[in-house]
Amino acid sequence: MKAKFEYLAPASLDEACGLLQEHQGDAKLLAGGTALVMWLRMGLLSPGFVIDLERVPGLDGIDYDPADGLRIGASVKHRDLELCPAVREHYPLLRETFYKVAQPRIRLMATVGGNLSHGDPMTDPGASFMALDAEVTLRSSRGERTLSVEDFFVDYYETALEPDEILTSVRVPPPAGPAWSHVKFTPRSEEDFATVGVAVTMTGEGNRCDDVRIALNSVGPSIFRAHAAEDVLRGRELTPARLEEAGAAAAEASDPIEDVRGSSDYKRELAAVFVRRAVEQAAARLG
Amino acid sequence: MKREMVLNVNGEEHDVEITPDRLLLEALREDVGLTGTKEGCSIGVCGACSVIVDGRLVSACLTLAVTCEGKKIETIEGLARDGELHPLQRSFVQYGGFQCGICTPGQIMAAKALLDHNPTPSADQVKEWMSANLCRCTGYYKILESVMAVVEGKVDEERRDEAVRQARIQSLYQSDTYKSGASD
Repeated sequence: MKAKFEYLAPASLDEACGLLQEHQGDAKLLAGGTALVMWLRMGLLSPGFVIDLERVPGLDGIDYDPADGLRIGASVKHRDLELCPAVREHYPLLRETFYKVAQPRIRLMATVGGNLSHGDPMTDPGASFMALDAEVTLRSSRGERTLSVEDFFVDYYETALEPDEILTSVRVPPPAGPAWSHVKFTPRSEEDFATVGVAVTMTGEGNRCDDVRIALNSVGPSIFRAHAAEDVLRGRELTPARLEEAGAAAAEASDPIEDVRGSSDYKRELAAVFVRRAVEQAAARLG
Repeated sequence: MKREMVLNVNGEEHDVEITPDRLLLEALREDVGLTGTKEGCSIGVCGACSVIVDGRLVSACLTLAVTCEGKKIETIEGLARDGELHPLQRSFVQYGGFQCGICTPGQIMAAKALLDHNPTPSADQVKEWMSANLCRCTGYYKILESVMAVVEGKVDEERRDEAVRQARIQSLYQSDTYKSGASD
């Protein structure tokens, strides 16, 4: 291990916020460890302090209420969310998304809050939360604020978290309608990061789209919402030409880097195709 | 800074003196001296370092040892009881669930974690679960067969299989009457 740090294990959220404020800029929060420990090992991070949130009560649990929706504690593991009966019943998009993240052992370790806080543009959950209009609660010694997931992702591995803030929960409103889809393409093996991932929620009837939210991961410096593609579809009949146009608009909004999963041109082309497919799949679920 | 702590591994307490950056993988292998847990990819993908901590399967290469204080750690060394192998271990031997063996401790711990929580998984559930453990030798079918044999209670039941296997091996040595270039 290249990193040398002190290990702190606060027993309350207030204590955790206090420690983070005290060591602000020189501390990293530890949750599941699947991202942080790897980065520490690789020497990509060298904080003076690692603050373990495992003993902090109140960050766990998934609560569902038909009026308020879903509240997911930041320490909830991917696997717990994937298997939660309320999620299976009311949020099939989340069920589908989390089922396809990495593989079972990683999903047993990785937390929902850790995934979002890491700000990794290549992971899938953020796009689905964005398509579901979810919001995050951020806590510090200064107080608490909520922010939409869309505003939470700022840039490459950069979120709206201030150095003294902890993401404590995610709230997902009740689904607006039954239509959703999640598609991703993994070029090498199924548990790999996606070349492109697309999450869609839609309301409408027959072949008419009343409202739609489309979010993409892996094809830009951060996970983003494809507003221009949504505008092409909102309030319209979903004709093949409009689907093509929406795909092209999403590709236009993407800004992928070239890596082992493909060139940036290839990924942009893939974004167009997968947005079209994702919209088709969501539309097939319209009543 | 080093700190003294106790790691409970396979029901035994081990005093270790480690820095906070010590991985559970390193602590097990180098401080406790249990080298059954292997290091493969080092980034949580391959599953060679799979161990069970407080009932949950984890990658020891992505777990800091300090976070395991007061928890129950299970490794491959803890499976055999009184000189008798665990049914999963016997099954992997009987059904040939390994070749080179480096992924095997992780495979068996992963399978144990599944069966501890769900003793009767379907073949598809086993397949999905075991997808988190890579093997470059056997091609996976024998691994799945080994796990399913435990699920279906087939371990040890058939001495006949062993007899058939022995006969097959014998025949490899006894039937060599063909001569190169000979015409019959």
